[in-house]
Amino acid sequence: MERIFCDLRRCLACGACELACAVEHSSSKDLFQAVLEGEAPVRRREVQPAPWGNLSLACHHCESAPCIDACITGAMHREEGVVLVDQERCVGCWMCVMACPFGAITPSKLKVALKCDLCPEREGKEGRERYACVAACPTEALFAGEFAEFKRLLEEEVVRY
Amino acid sequence: MKNIIIGSSAAGISAAETLRREDPTCEIIMISDEPNPLYSRPLISYYLAGELPEERIYYRPPDFYERNRIEAHLGRRAVRVEPRANRVILDNGEELEYDNLLLANGASPTFPEIEGLDKAGVFGFRRLSDAKEMLAMLPQVKEAVVLGGGLVGLKAAVGLKARGVDVTVAVGSPHLLSQMVDARAGEIYRALLEEHGIKVATGMEPAKILGDGRVTGVLMESGEELPAQLVVVGKGVRANLEPVEGTEVQYDYGVIIDEHCRTNIPNIYAAGDVAQSYDVVRGRHWTNALWPCAVEQGRVAALNMAGKEAVYRGSMGMNSVQFFDLPVISAGLAGLRERDFDSELIDQPGPRIYKRLVLRGDRLVGFILVGEIENAGIIRSLVERGVSVAELKDRLLRESFGFSEIMPLIEGRGERFPEREYQELIETMRLMS
Ligand SMILES: Cc1cc2nc3c(=O)[nH]c(=O)nc-3n(C[C@H](O)[C@H](O)[C@H](O)COP(=O)(O)OP(=O)(O)OC[C@H]3O[C@@H](n4cnc5c(N)ncnc54)[C@H](O)[C@@H]3O)c2cc1C
Repeated sequence: MERIFCDLRRCLACGACELACAVEHSSSKDLFQAVLEGEAPVRRREVQPAPWGNLSLACHHCESAPCIDACITGAMHREEGVVLVDQERCVGCWMCVMACPFGAITPSKLKVALKCDLCPEREGKEGRERYACVAACPTEALFAGEFAEFKRLLEEEVVRY
Repeated sequence: MKNIIIGSSAAGISAAETLRREDPTCEIIMISDEPNPLYSRPLISYYLAGELPEERIYYRPPDFYERNRIEAHLGRRAVRVEPRANRVILDNGEELEYDNLLLANGASPTFPEIEGLDKAGVFGFRRLSDAKEMLAMLPQVKEAVVLGGGLVGLKAAVGLKARGVDVTVAVGSPHLLSQMVDARAGEIYRALLEEHGIKVATGMEPAKILGDGRVTGVLMESGEELPAQLVVVGKGVRANLEPVEGTEVQYDYGVIIDEHCRTNIPNIYAAGDVAQSYDVVRGRHWTNALWPCAVEQGRVAALNMAGKEAVYRGSMGMNSVQFFDLPVISAGLAGLRERDFDSELIDQPGPRIYKRLVLRGDRLVGFILVGEIENAGIIRSLVERGVSVAELKDRLLRESFGFSEIMPLIEGRGERFPEREYQELIETMRLMS
């Protein structure tokens, strides 16, 4: 399954991915519009200072996802590998927040858990455009694909350095 | 292969679904004394409060059994397990044979040894039927007393309050939520509940339930009488050991399981609230009667039953709850009576924000986060993995703390973080250096 990885050295912590994520998950998908409508878009990705640079972090869609085990309603579930929250079923008990070892789930004011959903509404878009955060990253620090491909990319860069 | 599962809740469902996925042809028999559809137990308080209608607390659709090709014996109780004969006896005398048996029959409320518990209007708070019976009685209820100030008792109290009942929580301990948090956090919740009109009386044990056929009040040991037309007993739970009592299956407060969720009998497994598993913080077997533990243990047991070796790392105490708008998450040695630690770090930046870390040497062994819970999962993972946090200590409670700060620690102790996601991160870091 395709996932999103971050090259720590390339990430400059500009925050473009955070903003793009928030906008993608707003109802109008337009920053200006969202702000006008009084909606405070919530990002599901956060950039943090890290060894060798910065880390743009979101849900890893874990192979064995502790958030799914912890969910008392069944809202947290998996569809074709992607870990998703069914917002209708979430009651805001935050068992998933307790379980996630990456801190990648946001307990929102609306009493629903928010997390990376791998941009379902961008399905069909190709290449870097497929995910809002990847598309927005000016240094191509974010990479979408299999881990093996990401690793190969890093190895090539190591050689180049 | 013929698999029998006793109990059809968190642990049983998780096990049944795993078994079916791993082995499309095996036989699965489930015995449950509760009817279909399957509901989520922790959600009965939301139903009581009127926050969720009944359909919204269903955890699996009504065709769960057919869809997974499960032979279901519903409304039936397993009364005895016969390990030598590989047989389970039901309350109607029926005998069922198994190759593998899973005890997933959970726990039941503990009632104090006082007079009058049999009166109409006295409830435990464990089943959907409890919530339904309470709701049916509400027209005759003006006042309710909740005995016990733990998570379940308080959820019942808040639910009844939402229905307009005048609620008093009477607690034996000096503070609320004493299993889950310390005195300071307990007091924050006392103030919060009182603000919302719930009366809290601490240091109060019941002596007797008053009334003729129906409850009219509770006489406390202090001599005080609390009027009530409804009483909820929230004094903890005990494992449902009835089917294994007097058999070779080994139990203490719960059925003892090993790292494969197996009992001392090779073809009998146990999972969930009925089981006592290795507690990674306490370093010994302990009952952690929690939803996530039940689901994980159910899955691990089922994998082993299906012949796929799977290992359960162990459990730990933890919980998350939000009362009104104030969330709290705690884990490990966080309760009022825990003493087995050396030091603590405390931060209380506001009246409704409280953070406490509990350490033994350089290891985190517990924490409480009230109000700001975003980093609870990261901190919990450090408790669970038992790694030294010597270098991190001062940063853990900062608002800016995030996952990236534990990356060096993960890289240094890779063997404690075997999951794919951590290992990928370690590889990424190695390639950078
Ligand atoms: C109000 C409430 C709120 C809760 N909130 C939380 C929470 O926020 N977080 C959390 O982690 N946990 C919470 N819990 C605890 C959680 O519900 C349990 O840990 C979980 O349900 C355990 O699942 P289980 O499958 O082991 O057992 P159970 O859910 O107890 O299920 C066992 C089933 O087996 C049946 N059974 C028992 N004996 C027999 C028999 N002899 N024959 C046939 N059937 C039998 C029982 O009737 C029951 O249906 C809460 C519990 C309650 C009551």
